[in-house]
Amino acid sequence: MSEIILSLAGVSKTFNGKAAVSDLSFDVRRGKITGFLGPNGAGKSTSLRMALGILTPDSGQVSLFGGRPRASALERVGFLPEERGLYRKMKVIDVIIFFARLKGVAPIEARRRGLAMLDEFGLGDVAESKVKTLSKGMAQKIQIIATLIHDPEFIILDEPFSGLDPVNQKALERIVRARAEAGATILFSTHVMEHAERLCDQIVLVARGRKVFDGTVEEALGHVPRRVVLETVSETDLTPVFAPLGEIAESRANADGAHHWMINLGRGVEAQDVLKACVDGNIKLLRFEPARAHLHDAFVHLVETSGQFSNEKLEGEAV
Amino acid sequence: MRAIYLIARREYLSYVATWGFWLSLASMPMFMALGFGLPILIENSQPVRYYAVIDESGGALEAAITAQAETATDAAASDAPASADKYIRVHPPATDIEALRPFLLGEQKVETDDGPQPLFAAIYLRQDATGGVEIEYWSTNLTDGELRADIRRTLSEYMQLNRLIENGVSPELVAEAGALAPTVRELNPERSVDTAEVTSAERLPIIVAIGVAFGLWIVIFSVVNMLLTAMIEEKGNKVLEMMLASSRHHEILTGKLLGVALVSTTLLLVWGGLAATVGLGLQQLPFAAGLPLGEIMAAVLDPGLIFPAIGYFIIGYLMYGAIFLAIGSLCETLQDAQTLMSPMMLIMMVPLFLVMVAADSPDSPIIVIASWVPLWTPFIMLARLPQDPALFDIIGTTLVMVATAAGVIWGAGVMFRMGALNQANQDTVKGWFRLGGKRKPG
Repeated sequence: MSEIILSLAGVSKTFNGKAAVSDLSFDVRRGKITGFLGPNGAGKSTSLRMALGILTPDSGQVSLFGGRPRASALERVGFLPEERGLYRKMKVIDVIIFFARLKGVAPIEARRRGLAMLDEFGLGDVAESKVKTLSKGMAQKIQIIATLIHDPEFIILDEPFSGLDPVNQKALERIVRARAEAGATILFSTHVMEHAERLCDQIVLVARGRKVFDGTVEEALGHVPRRVVLETVSETDLTPVFAPLGEIAESRANADGAHHWMINLGRGVEAQDVLKACVDGNIKLLRFEPARAHLHDAFVHLVETSGQFSNEKLEGEAV
Repeated sequence: MRAIYLIARREYLSYVATWGFWLSLASMPMFMALGFGLPILIENSQPVRYYAVIDESGGALEAAITAQAETATDAAASDAPASADKYIRVHPPATDIEALRPFLLGEQKVETDDGPQPLFAAIYLRQDATGGVEIEYWSTNLTDGELRADIRRTLSEYMQLNRLIENGVSPELVAEAGALAPTVRELNPERSVDTAEVTSAERLPIIVAIGVAFGLWIVIFSVVNMLLTAMIEEKGNKVLEMMLASSRHHEILTGKLLGVALVSTTLLLVWGGLAATVGLGLQQLPFAAGLPLGEIMAAVLDPGLIFPAIGYFIIGYLMYGAIFLAIGSLCETLQDAQTLMSPMMLIMMVPLFLVMVAADSPDSPIIVIASWVPLWTPFIMLARLPQDPALFDIIGTTLVMVATAAGVIWGAGVMFRMGALNQANQDTVKGWFRLGGKRKPG
């Protein structure tokens, strides 16, 4: 197991009597991309603020690089907050240099790196422009540059994809991967599960301030029942055929006369077993589709089975 | 320390790049120039008024006015201010008011040494058998009453002199009596008899201290407003959390206060340098040779004033700066800030009036009590200092002020921390003052 960069142990935080984070524990390990997932208002930003020492937890322990999150540790961290902005009246390159110098980069080196990164992000021609003249997407790229300019070993990105168009979302995913390949540890929060599914080695799922899962994406998906969707044409009731293979989640007659089935496969049952049962029973198939589970399904399933929250509330929260 | 330096530097450079800073820099010399120059400009730009006197009493009243005008001209020649140049008597083109009316209405002009001019006023003088005098003053100008007052005063003195002469008093005796005036020696009982006499130069420190107190107020007022505006802008732009990713709350707060303190120091140094240059320049000019510029400079640079002024500036600025920063951190827009600003503005206005009172009555109970209010101490105590307030007052007010400043900075830090992360806003502060501590439902 690699070194623990960030550790939250039993951390809680309450605002005006309302719990934002409750007894939250998880670790972020060196060199890994960790996704911190949950719906809006789940306590992700509060947790990240506590991780950096911007907020002090009411109880529990936070350890960053093996110690309390002190100001000196911030130089090793690149943090892109959810609420982000820039000095609108400053020139782009000056803003980047300012944030780089706050992180301990020498002025000349800050300018050199800033110009290089602007070129890398395709923004070389706006270096001397005022920030207020940039589009929202361009400004967000400048914020990312300001976060990464000091080449941090630990990168924390709070909802980094929000506000970016699909092209720039892909570009940011590439940047995250490249930094990880270069050895950086990355923790990012998002409420969009697809990004985490594509990027993360490790995920931490939270809902209403509580952790509901901590593990790999595969482990999370392992909690979701595998499904098969079928459409059959038969004059007889096929329930006795499918019932031994798992839970029949959906069964209804379509308008075209076909019958729609969704079967949550039982333990040890594979999609091929369903297909074999259909062939053996001489059942006419119009559709046979093994359904791939997504992280969103895993999240909903994990929260439901945790027994902490009502189903309809969480279906509404998760994106 | 590096974060504080970088934040202070950025703040300083961003303020210096604004129009507001250059306007503030220019405002003081501009207002001073206007304060001195405008009355002179108004005086010089006022047109010469031409008037006619029609004496229906036989000439005695006109003779009195002529004599007074000659006296005024002599006085003007000896550098004394006079209205003689502003009002010039001309020969009336007619004696009947109906004939004079077109001249008074500007339809016709009277002949003067400066060419044809409109007639400003026609003054009819009449005297009855008992010696009573009536002045009939015709003019379309209803506001300029100086000529009317001059004529009235002249004829009033003429009537009084006549009455005295009629009762056997000689004109020489009247003139002699009019010149009588007591000599006044102002003495300070704290000194020995030989050195007790108070000179006008000794009053300079009091006047200078009041000037410095006002200057202090203007500087603090200007820069804390800059601080507030910039803070609100930063909050609105959502830069604060980006900053918090690189530095701590106290570093941001200190950096901002320090940056703006440098801005105000720049203002003070430029104004001070400008005032010293103008003062030195004026000393070379003959008309200003009589001004006590050296004494004024000495009073300003007196260690008994300059060091307390620096101390009061630092503490006063920190108190007001921290409060305005905290207000800014709670608000997204200037409109949001208005509610919280209003009571602060009222608090800030009070010392402006009290400093004036302190100049005349430094030991007045109101002034003594007000100087113990920490937010007013920097201004009122500065105005009181040249008048030797009690040592207890000096030490006590300073201790209370320093303790309050520490408390205010701490409290502002807490509010700043909450405001920066949107955990508090202007409604939170309003809630503290809500009667009965009522809370919104839900």
